Amino acid sequence: MRELFDDILSMSDVHGVMLFSVEGKLLFKEFNTPLIEEPETRNWWPIFIDSLSGAREVDLVFERSRLYVRRIEKGYLMLVLGALAPMAMLRLNCDLLVPSLRQVRLTKGLRQLFRKGR
Amino acid sequence: MIRNVMIVDDDKEMLLSLKEGLERHFDTFRIVTADDGLTAVDKLKEDSISLVVSDLKMPRMDGFSLLAHIMEHYPDIPVIIITGYGTPEMESLAREGGAVGYIAKPFMIEDLARKIVTALRKESEGGTLHSVSSGMFLQLIEMEQKTCTIRLVDKKTGKQGVLFFHKGELFDARVGSLQGEAAAYQVFSWDDVTLSIQNDCPQRQKRIHTELQTILLDSTRLKDEAASEEEPVSPSKSSESLEKVTQVAESDKASFIGTIRRKLEMEIGEKRGFDAIYEDSSWDGLVAEAERVGGFFHAGNLKLMYMDRGESRDLIVLPGRKTTVISVNNRCPRDRVVEVVSDHMSATNGGEP
Repeated sequence: MRELFDDILSMSDVHGVMLFSVEGKLLFKEFNTPLIEEPETRNWWPIFIDSLSGAREVDLVFERSRLYVRRIEKGYLMLVLGALAPMAMLRLNCDLLVPSLRQVRLTKGLRQLFRKGR
Repeated sequence: MIRNVMIVDDDKEMLLSLKEGLERHFDTFRIVTADDGLTAVDKLKEDSISLVVSDLKMPRMDGFSLLAHIMEHYPDIPVIIITGYGTPEMESLAREGGAVGYIAKPFMIEDLARKIVTALRKESEGGTLHSVSSGMFLQLIEMEQKTCTIRLVDKKTGKQGVLFFHKGELFDARVGSLQGEAAAYQVFSWDDVTLSIQNDCPQRQKRIHTELQTILLDSTRLKDEAASEEEPVSPSKSSESLEKVTQVAESDKASFIGTIRRKLEMEIGEKRGFDAIYEDSSWDGLVAEAERVGGFFHAGNLKLMYMDRGESRDLIVLPGRKTTVISVNNRCPRDRVVEVVSDHMSATNGGEP
């Protein structure tokens, strides 16, 4: 799974990537720098994913960083970015990545989670 | 109206004696002091100064540099130069630089007072009108192709503005340190003004390229929006907010919307692709969730959200006391639009009053 995100994670000002199921379960995460707190400690991710109301793409611009959320077939991909991340290039990379995520061989656990999202 | 006259001199004794000597004219003008050019530049931003009296030789920023700064940014403010090292060449340089008066030290304080009063009277040589709506009057100026400088005072907030006309054409506007179109929009949003006319125009540089009619119509529309959408804001609160956001964003939401609209028009032009800007509380839930996620990543305050919902229109959601939504064509230059709106939100501390 990690290798799918190699191109994105190697781009400038990309801090990490998170993959959520449709219900907002965290399926995968990879960060270039360790987080102060692990995302699993928070139980409100499903509420956040639900509030996106099925949007195709959401770009959240904050004072110091950005979050780029992209709908994929079975959930949402979220990129954690710095303020200077090359957005157009990242969107293009996500366009290329989305078909690969469709074909990815899921582990048993991930398969069960994705199935719930159907 | 009592005007503010700023005296700039690094000689503290001179400054004090001028201040004391000119105080007898308190019914015409009030004295503000600065001990060098840089301090004067700061005070010009903060105070409504009607005239500057400046020494030439000063540390940090001398009188010639200050004169050039005033001519560039505050061309309506007359400058009188005083100097202890006067030569005909210096006088000539000062006059060429735009000074309206030149006095060599030592001089009689009353001579300076006369020059100040004469220069201030020039501001209203073409007449003064009270309690007028600026729109109709300014159209008259345009029709008569007048060259003049019009000073306006908004009776509601006490804010002062200046409009520069060359042969009926609106060349420039100024409110505080704000210049050009943005200042013109602010002036035209004032309903009840007192205005005075000076029969010449010191501004030679054309900073406004939009037709007067267009600006007037747009300001009228913004005023109508403000009247229908806004909750009342006290004049004092409004005035304070204007200062805080460098006079660009009005303290009300309708003006905030208008400012964003104009910003997009100016920065992106016809390709901006937006078709509506409105308040919409239905996005409050998403805004709250986004802010929570941002807090987890220590991302700072949320400036905006760009949403592509797979429809022909994308949405830019702006958080604030009331959530504002900009609906844009999905073929708009997305990153540029986001950049412009994001910069605007930063510049106005989130855009909210």
